[in-house]
Amino acid sequence: MEPNLGTIVRSISIGPNREETGLESLQFREEIHRLMTVPPENGSSFTELLQLPETQAMELLHSAHSDEVVPVPLSGEPLHGINDDHKSYLPSFNGNLTFPSNKVLIERAAKFSVFASGEHSPETSSVPSDSSANLEKVKSEPAETDSNPNSSQLLVSDPAVNIKNQRSEKRKEREKKGKGCTKKSKIEISQDAEKLPYVHVRARRGQATDSHSLAERARREKINARMKLLQELVPGCSKTFAMQISGTALVLDEIINHVQSLQRQVELLSMRLATVNPRVDFNLDSLFAPESGSLADSNFHSMVSPLLWPEIPFNGNRQQHQQQWNFDALHRPLWGREEDNHTFITMENSLLNYESANSASLHSNQLKMEL
Amino acid sequence: MRSPSSLKQEFLKRWMRGLQRCTSSKKDMNVLERKKVIKLSADLAIASARNGTTSWSRALIANASRDNDNRILAERILGPESDILIKRVSTSVGTVSCNRKIRSKKILKRSCNSVRRVRKGTHLPQKVLAKSIAKRLVQKRTQILKRLVPGGEFMDELSLIEETLDYIAYLRAQVDVMRCIASATELINHD
Repeated sequence: MEPNLGTIVRSISIGPNREETGLESLQFREEIHRLMTVPPENGSSFTELLQLPETQAMELLHSAHSDEVVPVPLSGEPLHGINDDHKSYLPSFNGNLTFPSNKVLIERAAKFSVFASGEHSPETSSVPSDSSANLEKVKSEPAETDSNPNSSQLLVSDPAVNIKNQRSEKRKEREKKGKGCTKKSKIEISQDAEKLPYVHVRARRGQATDSHSLAERARREKINARMKLLQELVPGCSKTFAMQISGTALVLDEIINHVQSLQRQVELLSMRLATVNPRVDFNLDSLFAPESGSLADSNFHSMVSPLLWPEIPFNGNRQQHQQQWNFDALHRPLWGREEDNHTFITMENSLLNYESANSASLHSNQLKMEL
Repeated sequence: MRSPSSLKQEFLKRWMRGLQRCTSSKKDMNVLERKKVIKLSADLAIASARNGTTSWSRALIANASRDNDNRILAERILGPESDILIKRVSTSVGTVSCNRKIRSKKILKRSCNSVRRVRKGTHLPQKVLAKSIAKRLVQKRTQILKRLVPGGEFMDELSLIEETLDYIAYLRAQVDVMRCIASATELINHD
């Protein structure tokens, strides 16, 4: 982190570049005024930066740095007119997009190159490892950059929206950085603050940079991290490629469908179990009565007993039957039978062992023993 | 997260215990009652397994204890520890209602902000509009999800997602276990 910061500061402090950044900061301001709805922020954004605790100020500067290190695939179009229509950037961006996470960073870096074409050539060493290191340290950033695509990538014009978002973000940070270059001491102080552990949050354009919105930003990133987890959990959703395209709304769709289907299945299965059971009770008593005399006081008539008995001695022939009979035997005690809990539980354990495919004879023996 | 097999084991154990407790008194029930009992004991089984650590389990228990006729059943199913559990649930319900007010205020504020933004974004209608449309879609879906997950209506998004994760794991375990048992019993009974 430090070397990046140092190089950036150095590059900024170069004479002609300083004027450039001054010009750009002016342009930034105009742009911000024109595009966003929070005017008081723009002129005084750096003063807000000053009011922020050092850590947060460093975050904002920090986030600017990590982008600068990202490789710039674009041969910077010499468009310093930030007031230009942003659509003109789109074709070039679309041509150079790479998936998945570098896309956003590359867009940002592309913006950077556009705004100050000469400035970043020393920094635009293609160091993806470095950027990834940045990403690790500033771990909220990629989540946030992904949050941009996630939240807004539903329509075809989404790349435009993303680019717009990040461009605006970048501009704002650059403006702050531009103003910060005149105060080197501030940056040095921020350098020290950089080492402290804290949550990196990027201040979004158009939102106040007070702690409230920053907390909300951190929250957003947490949400997106968990959305990714959910995506992995829900089947059919976990392609990394799809994560770029699907966006938050589609992932939520999948999740909702999954939860609904699971709930419906539970309903159906409980209905099935409810209808099945009347015969189960009888079978239970008939099953257990011969095995242990203590179960003779059954509440139900022993019907259908001859049905089940033939199955019990089968060991090799119909293994599956027997195993499922073990299931059944476990289930049956519920319907009107008072049994000791501990035998129950051991039976349940054996049942679940079955589920992990153990031998059938073992279970039948266990069952008989436990009874 | 806990391993799925241990989750299933725990669920099965509690479910069987609950069913046993519940059916020991009533000898004959019609199908609907039985289904209700099965489902209820299954829900309570997993909810008690969570022991009130997750919000949806608390909400499940709270829902179960709300109706009077369910309440007795639920208490019986839960067994001796039901009092503690229900007490814990009721205390958490109070905070839930407080959250509700906060949530509704935030929703109002957010909707106002979004309307304001859309109006002022007429300079570049496409991009801002796209963003707001996307946001609205996401909000709609989160509302649906909130309705699905028990007790999810009053949670913020972050906890909602965590709850959903947990809830999905539980639903899966429940479906697997119930399916095994249902197929087993049906297979036996058809022969």
